[in-house]
Amino acid sequence: MKKLILAFAFLGMSHPIFAQLERKLENENLPVDLIFHAPRHINLLTVEPLEKKSMHFAIMHTFGTLDGGVENLWGLDNGANIQFSFEFGLSEKLSLGFARSSRDKFYNLYGRYHLLEQTQNDKVPLSVSVAGGMGAVSNPYRFLGPLERPDFSDRLAYSAQVMLARRFSPKISFQLSPMMSYFVNPLEIYQIEGDQNLYLALGMSGKIKVTERSSLTLQYIPNLNSDLRSNFGIGWDVEAGGHVFQMYFVTSQALNEQYLLAGGNGVPGEEFRLGFNVNRIFAMGQKKRSY
Amino acid sequence: MIRFVFLCAFLLSLSAKAQEFQTQTGKAIFLSKASLSEFTGESKTLKGLIDLDKNLVDFFLDLNTLKTGITLRDKHMRENYLETEKYPFAEFTGKFETLPSLSSTSEKVTVRGKFKIHGVEREIVVVGALKKLPNGSLELKANWTVALNDYKIEIPKLVFYELAAEQQVSIEAILNPKK
Repeated sequence: MKKLILAFAFLGMSHPIFAQLERKLENENLPVDLIFHAPRHINLLTVEPLEKKSMHFAIMHTFGTLDGGVENLWGLDNGANIQFSFEFGLSEKLSLGFARSSRDKFYNLYGRYHLLEQTQNDKVPLSVSVAGGMGAVSNPYRFLGPLERPDFSDRLAYSAQVMLARRFSPKISFQLSPMMSYFVNPLEIYQIEGDQNLYLALGMSGKIKVTERSSLTLQYIPNLNSDLRSNFGIGWDVEAGGHVFQMYFVTSQALNEQYLLAGGNGVPGEEFRLGFNVNRIFAMGQKKRSY
Repeated sequence: MIRFVFLCAFLLSLSAKAQEFQTQTGKAIFLSKASLSEFTGESKTLKGLIDLDKNLVDFFLDLNTLKTGITLRDKHMRENYLETEKYPFAEFTGKFETLPSLSSTSEKVTVRGKFKIHGVEREIVVVGALKKLPNGSLELKANWTVALNDYKIEIPKLVFYELAAEQQVSIEAILNPKK
C-alpha cells in the first residue's frame, strides 16, 4: 500500500510546478545558409542552390589590364568581356542555365546538380555539387574565306566540374572544384592561349566574411596539365538587399569555365584586370514580390 | 488507507483535468511595411501553452520556419538579421493580468511577460482576444509591434527602404485542452 502511495506521489511530482514548453527545433538537420553569397564567386560557380522556380541572373565584366594607368582608365577603355547568364531552378537540386560571353561570342548551356548540402550540426560536413557545360563559339569570322571558317563541330567546347564546399566557421568558407574543359578543335583563331584539347585544373574559392554583409573573396585555379599560367583573383562581395555585387582583380578576362581553363592568364600583380559581377535572384511563378 | 489512495487518485484526476491548453500549429506572421517594399513572413509551427491553474502563458517559435516567399530573403533574414544559428527561437512567457472567463464570445485579454528574440529579453504587454470554441478548445489572436532596434537587430543603411524598423507581429492559434 505504501508503495502505491509513493507511486502516486511520484506521478504527481513528475509534473514540474512551472512547466514551460521545451524549446525544440522543427528540423535538427538544418542546412548551412549561404556558404557563399551567390551561385557565382568571382568567375567560378558555387554550390549555392537555387530554389525551384527561381532564376539567377548574373552580369559579369572583366576589363583590360590595369597597367595602362590613368590614360586607359586602368583598363576600362580597353573593352570589356561581358557575360550574361540566366540560370533557372527546376527543382531544389537541379538548375539549368545559359550564358553568352562577348569573347568569341561564346554561347554556353550549363547545369548544376546538388548532391549534398552541409548541415549546421555537421551531420553532413560538406556541400557537394556537380556542374557541366556545353558551348559554342558563334563568331562568324567573316574576314576568313568561307572554306577557312571553322565548322560547327570545331566550335564546340565542353566543361565539367565537381564542387566540394564547406563553411568552416560562420566567417570562413572554402570550395575545391576539380575541373576539366575540352575544346573539340582549339584553333588559333580563338582567343585562348592553349593549343591542347583537354585542360585539367583545380578551382579554389575562398570567402572570408568581414562584416555582416560583405566578404573578402579569393580565387586560384592552378592548371594541372598545361604550361599556362594559373588564374588568380581577389575581390570583395557585397550583399545589398536582393543584389550581390562582386568586385575583383583577376589575371584573366575569361568568364566561362571553358575559357577560364584554356584562355591563359597574366602575371598576378602586373596584369591584373578589374572585374565586376552583379547577381540577382528572381522568384517566379508567385504573386508579384520584389526583393 | 484506502480512502487516502482514493483521495490521491481524485487529486491526480483533478490535475490531469487541469486547465491546460496547447497548440503545435499556431500561426505567427510578421509584416514589414517600409516605404518601398512591403512583405510578410509566416510560420505555422508556433508552439503554445496556456495553463489557467498556474496562470502561465508560454509560446515559442522556431524562427528557421519563417518564410517570406523568397528563399534568398529568408536566408538573409536568418543569417544577417535574426542570426538563427545563435538565437533560433522567439519566446514569450507571461501571465494574464486577470484570468479570462473562457466564454464563447471573444474576450479581451491582457498578458504581461517577457519576450525574447535575437538574444534580447524585454518585458512587454500584449493585448489579445480569447474565445472558447464549442469543442472546448481556445482560440487566441494577438498582435503587437516589435521595434528591431529594441532587440539589437540592425538595419543597414543600404536597405533601410526595404525593411521596416517596426515589424507588426500577429499570432493566431487554436489551443486544445490537454488530455
